Parts: sequence; structure tokens; C-alpha cells
Amino acid sequence: MTAWWIRPGVRLLAAFLLPLLVPAIITALIWALPGDPAEIICPPSTCGGTSELAARWNLDAGPVHFFREWVGSALSNDFGRSWRVEQGMPVADLLRESLPLTLKLVGLALVPIVLGVVGAATGLIPARADGVFAAVGLVPALVFSLIGAAAIVVNFGSSAFDAEADRWRLLAGAAVLGIADGAFAAAVSGVRGLVNAERNQRYVSIALLRGERALENMLPNVMPALAGQLRARVLHLLSGAVVVEVVLGLPGVGDLLWAGTLLQDFGVVLAAATAFAAISGGLLVLQAFVEIGVALHVRRAPSLGAA
Amino acid sequence: MSRMGTGIGAAVALAVLVVLALTAPEHLAEGNRELAFARPAALPPFGGDQLGRPLLQYAQQGARVVLGPAIAAAILVGVLSTMGGLVRCVGDRRVESVIQGFSEVLGALPRMVVLLVAALLIPSGERSLLPLALVWAILAAPGAVDEAAAVAERLGGARFVEALRAHGFSRARVFLYHIVLLNLRPVVVRQSSEVLLQVTFLELGLSYLAVQDSQSSFTHSDSLKSWADLLYMGYTSIGLGMPTGHALWLGLGLVAVVTTMAKLTTSMVRAR
Repeated sequence: MTAWWIRPGVRLLAAFLLPLLVPAIITALIWALPGDPAEIICPPSTCGGTSELAARWNLDAGPVHFFREWVGSALSNDFGRSWRVEQGMPVADLLRESLPLTLKLVGLALVPIVLGVVGAATGLIPARADGVFAAVGLVPALVFSLIGAAAIVVNFGSSAFDAEADRWRLLAGAAVLGIADGAFAAAVSGVRGLVNAERNQRYVSIALLRGERALENMLPNVMPALAGQLRARVLHLLSGAVVVEVVLGLPGVGDLLWAGTLLQDFGVVLAAATAFAAISGGLLVLQAFVEIGVALHVRRAPSLGAA
Repeated sequence: MSRMGTGIGAAVALAVLVVLALTAPEHLAEGNRELAFARPAALPPFGGDQLGRPLLQYAQQGARVVLGPAIAAAILVGVLSTMGGLVRCVGDRRVESVIQGFSEVLGALPRMVVLLVAALLIPSGERSLLPLALVWAILAAPGAVDEAAAVAERLGGARFVEALRAHGFSRARVFLYHIVLLNLRPVVVRQSSEVLLQVTFLELGLSYLAVQDSQSSFTHSDSLKSWADLLYMGYTSIGLGMPTGHALWLGLGLVAVVTTMAKLTTSMVRAR
């Protein structure tokens, strides 16, 4: 039998490595591709002075030097300056401006998902509704985003970019993220499957015979799996945020990442990807804490005497 | 719906897409201004764009862009998930641990982010959906591997293999027939179909965002049109009041064909 702390321990380790892993993979890829790294990052057809850029970006002394310098600067909150998205502006400032909106968007998108999880676990959402949720979830985020964007343009007309329209845009984005691409349907069916499987365990039947409630007994046992499912859902939302933010015109990190990719602003892409990786690492930490909490709770339970 | 019915439905949807892809022209035809924004009745079967070019060619080129890479990604996920299930049945704890650790890290990466980084690194002259589809498949693999491994675990893992070997079945028969064909098939096909669908949606998303910003797409050359061009053209009928509603319906219809194909395939191989 494996010790209980190994799994959360691996998660914690992965969480701390993830924000380093993403720039490491990108660095490795740049040097693995054929050609000069500076020319890959900024092709001579679009960039002038490639050698100056290489020197400024530490691309002229090998991958280890580049990675070390970039991580060192990033740890002191210096992600360099944007080349194209907002020329000359510090990337850290761009991230600081866009991150709150993305967190708000993902947080709001989690509301229907959490409601779905609670509804499925408690049986408030009937199983026969799963088919409807699954059918709605088949619609891609792009299509729902287009509908949302169209609705805002039609309703707000020339004032589609004022504060009130922005609020509606955020709400529409959250609704799209929370429902499209099977986000809600997968959350409901996943939790229902998990709870139903646990409900068949003998200890639950015994608890019911003792007059206890099933969910209270099951919760410590399903909690780690539930935390894992929720983490997967949030990751899914983070991925989907890119499309939703761009189509609905929400200036979040996803929008920034897309602009950086489209305009080949390598500094912005590297920083935005690392920010996403850091959020993902944070989710791993939360899951590990849930697992540790459950493990400690279970071990604190009174042991039966030798009667 | 019977397995036969769903199978026929999936095959018909696939045949439609294959025919569209195989008959796609290299370049769009010359426009005919008199047929600009033509309705399907005026320029059958789907109408025309703002230059009077048939939307059928958009549908054909879009199918060509998406079909091959989506199928390749689906096959890759199918192979990886099958291997995940088989490894669980072999019962080698060390290999399982390595796969689990690898899956943990890979599964923690937001897919779209990794994909955009990959898109950034592909030289602009060699842009294609295929490398992005394969990256997506690799990122989607941990979930598929986990599910296949869970199915193998429920079967009994290595003990299931031992039991069948004791009955005199050969190793190849146990692994390929009893485990893969009889037990892993529903999960593997469902995961593959989902990835096929996701890659199609991914192409739509990436191309749409590029079209919206009047930039080249990461998924195909400028000479080709994607289904996203149809959606964008159609969206202007709502946003700007252009007479392009028929393009929107065609784009949505093509998305529905792919979705139907994926769902019918999944339904066809569902567990008994």
C-alpha cells in the first residue's frame, strides 16, 4: 500500500515546478527547432536588428543562460517589455491589468458549475436532465461567444463599449465558459457518477441504517476525487477563456496571450503562459491541501477497540 | 437508436466530409460580382460570398483543412489510451508510476496556452493544423489514458490476464481481443471521437480569431478558407446587417455534421 502523503506530495512538487516548467519547455523548443533562436522568435522578414534583439533577450549565449536570466528577472517581477502588443510597455504591467478580469471571468463561470456539482451530489438535479445538458454542451464556446457578442451589439448598438455593456460582456463570457464545450454537463455527470458509485458502498448502507445521512458519510471519501474534477473544470475554463475573451472583447490574460501570439510578441506570450501555469500550479496546491485535509480527518477518526 | 443505425449515420456524415475534402479546389474560383451575396437558390447549393464565389468551395476547403489532422489526432489519442489500458493489465507498478507522474504534469497544463505557444513557434511558411492537432492530442491523452486504465483496473488488471491465460488463451488474444476489442473499445473510441471534435472546434476557434483580426490563420495557408470564414461572414449578418445569413447557417450546419458524426460513433461502440 502506498503512503497517503505521496500523492499530495507529488502534486505540491508539480505545483511548484509548473511555472518553471512552462518557460523551460518553451526555451527547449526554441533551441530544438532548426535555425537561429532569435530568428525563430522574431523572423528577419518582420524584425529588424535581430542580433541586437538576441543580445537584449539573452538569446545569444545558449538556452541555459536565457532560461536562468528570464527566470531571475521574472522572480523580481520583471518580464521585460512588450515588442508589439503595447510597444515598450512593461509586460508585468500588461499582466497586472489583464489578470483580474480573467480571474473574475473564470470565477463567475465557476458559479453554474459549482451549482451543478451541488445539485448532482444532493440529487436536486435529476439524472434525466443530463441528456439535455450534454446536448447543450456540444455547442462549442466559439458559437456561444458569437451569439453573446451579437446579442450585446444588437442590444447596445453604438454604446456597445460603455461600462454597462462591459458588465454584460463579462456575464455573457462567464455563462458561455460555464456551459459551452460540455463544462456544465461534464461537471454534473462526473459528480453524479462519483456519488452514485460511492452510494453503493456498504458503509453508506450501514450509515443509513444507523439513521445518518449518506452525503455526510460519503463526503470525506469523495472529496479528493471531487477536488480533482473541479481542478480539471477550472483548467478547462482557463483554456476556454482565450476564445471567449477575444470574441467578446474582454481584455484579460487570454486576450493578451492571443494578441502576443498573433503579433509574435514573444515576451508577452512567455509571460502570459507562465501566468497561466502559475494559476494551474495554484490549483494543484489547493487539490493537495484538500487531499491532506481529508487524509488527516480520516486518520483522526476514533479507532475501534479490541472488543 | 440501434448500433447499426448509429453506425450508418456516422458513416454517412464521415462520407460527406471526406467527399467535401477530396473535391476541395486549390484556390477559390474567380468571383462573379452579379452573384455577390447570392442566396442558395441563386447560386446552388449554398449561395455565394461578397465577391460572388460559391460557398460550397469554402465548405470543401474547410473540410480539407480540418479532416486529416482531426483524424490523426483521434488516432494518436486512441493509441495512447489503448497503451494506458494495456499497461495497467501488465501490472508493472514502476511504468504505471512514471505514466501517472507524466500525466499529472501534462494534465496540469492549460491546453490552449500550450497550443498558442506551439503555434507561435511554427514558422509562418509551414503553418498547418496537423502539428497543433497532434499537440492537442498529446495534451488530451492523460485523461484518455486514465479512463482506459480505470476500465482495465475494473476488469481486474493483471489478474484478469492471468485468469484468461490459465484458460489457455494466447497472450495476443487476451490483450488484443479480450482487453482492447471487448473492453477498452468504448472508452478508446469515445475519447478519440471527442478529440476529433475538439480539434475541429479548435481549428474553428483559431481561424475565427485570426479572421476577426484580419491576420493569417495558424492552421492553414492564406490560399485556403476555413469554416470559420463562413461563421465570420455569417456573423456580419447579425452585427452589421449584411445579407450573409446563409453563410452562418452553412457554417453551423458543417459543425453539426462533425458533432453528429462524433456522437454517433461514440454511441455505436457503447458498452453493452
